[in-house]
Amino acid sequence: MRTGYLDTLADVTGLEVSRWVLAPGKWAADSAELLFRRYIYFIGLRQENERLSAELKETRSELAGATERAALAGRLSELMSFSPPEGWVREGARVVSHRLGPNAALETIMIDKGSRSGLAVNLPVVLPFGVVGKTLRVSPNAAVVLLVNDLNSRIPVMGQIHRTQGILAGQGPDDPMEVQYVPQGAPLDEGELLITSGLGEVFPKGLPVARVLKVETTGPTLFQNVLAGPLSEIKTAEEVLVLKKPPLPPDAPAVEEEKEARPPLEGKGKRSRPPVFDNKAGQAKPKSGPGGD
Amino acid sequence: MLGMLWWLLVVTAGIIVQSQVPGVDFLAAGFVLALQEERWTKPLWFALAAILIQEGDGSLAFGSGLVWYGALAAMYFFGHYLFEARNFLFMILLGVCQGAMHILLSLTMASLQDWSVLPERLWLEAIVQAVVFPMEWGLLYIIYHNLPLSHARTV
Repeated sequence: MRTGYLDTLADVTGLEVSRWVLAPGKWAADSAELLFRRYIYFIGLRQENERLSAELKETRSELAGATERAALAGRLSELMSFSPPEGWVREGARVVSHRLGPNAALETIMIDKGSRSGLAVNLPVVLPFGVVGKTLRVSPNAAVVLLVNDLNSRIPVMGQIHRTQGILAGQGPDDPMEVQYVPQGAPLDEGELLITSGLGEVFPKGLPVARVLKVETTGPTLFQNVLAGPLSEIKTAEEVLVLKKPPLPPDAPAVEEEKEARPPLEGKGKRSRPPVFDNKAGQAKPKSGPGGD
Repeated sequence: MLGMLWWLLVVTAGIIVQSQVPGVDFLAAGFVLALQEERWTKPLWFALAAILIQEGDGSLAFGSGLVWYGALAAMYFFGHYLFEARNFLFMILLGVCQGAMHILLSLTMASLQDWSVLPERLWLEAIVQAVVFPMEWGLLYIIYHNLPLSHARTV
C-alpha cells in the first residue's frame, strides 16, 4: 500500500475496464440519441414535406387560375377594344357550345345571351378582328349564331381598297369562303381585306370579314373566281360581341321623324322584315332564310 | 324520387356529352331504356324533354326531333315483336337505323328549308351515331340495373 502498487494496479485495471465498458455505452447512447434526433427530424421533415407539397399544389392551382384569369382579361380587353359602328351598341357573350345535337345541321355556336339581353334574330356577331356570323335563333338566355363559313351564309362584302362588291358565301368549316358575283375586270387584289358593304341591313358597313386568298379569271363566266379566308380561327372563339341597336327613348325626335317618313304598315300589328339576300341571285328580297344578310 | 333523379341525370349527362360530340344524339339510348324498363309515363316525359332539347339546340325547323323520336319509338315497338327487346344485337340494329335516319332526315329537312348541308359530315355523324347508340345503351342498362331503385322495384 505504501509503495502505491495497488493504486497503480487499480488505475490500470479497474479504470481501464470501466473506460472500456462505459465508452461503448456512451457511444451507443450518443448514437441512439442521434438516431432519435434524426428520426424526430425526419418526421418533422416529412411533415414539412407534406405541408410544402400541399402548398405547392395549392400554388400551382392558384397559378393556373391566375393564368386563366390573365388570359381571360387579355381576351376581354381585346374584345372591349372593339368600338361598335355608329348607331350600334355591343353586348358581350360567352360561347357555351358549338353544334349541339342531331338537328344541328348548320355551322353554329351557342352563346349565353338571349332576348333578355336585348338580342334578336339577325344581329351581327363579331370579334375585334372581324365578323363571326349572325344570330339565327334566340331564346331568353341563349342564342344560336350562324357562322360565316357555313354553306348557307351569305354576306354582302366589298374590298377595302378597291371597293369591289360581291357576296361572301361560306363553303364549310374546312374550306375557304367564296366571293360570288365579282364581275370580270373588277379590281380585287390577293390579300385585300373584305369588309361588309352594309347592303343587306343585317351587318353595318365597314366590318372586316375575310381576306382575299386567290383571284382567278378562268373560264367563260361573267364573274371572277375569288376565294377568301377567315381573319382568324372562329372555332376557337370563347367570347364574342353581339351588335344591337340601342333602345331609343320614347320621346326621341329621330323616332318621330322616322315614323313620319315611313309608309304606313299593311295591317295593324304587322312588322316589316328587313330584306335579306337571295342565295342564288344576290338580290334583296324578303326571305326568312338562315344565311342571307 | 330516385328514379326521377336518375332520368334527370341521364338527360343532363346526355346534353353535356352532346356538346362534345356534335351531330350525335346521346338522349336516344336513354329514351329506349325508358321504353324498356319504365311504365309509359316516364318514356313519354323523357321523349318530350328530349324533343324540346334537340329542337331548341338544333338549327333545323321544328319537326325533325318529333320525327326522329317518333321513328325511334316506332322502330322499337316494331322491332321488339321480332327480337328480344333487351338484346344487344337489337340495339346494334337500332343504332344502324338511327344512323341511316340521321342522313335521311337531315337531308330531307334541309332541302325542305332550302338549305345546304355537308353530306360527308352527315355520313361521319351517322357512323358515330350507329356505333355510339348500342354502347351507350349497354352502359345505361348496366348502371340502371345496379341502381338501388331497380332492386326496390324488383322486390
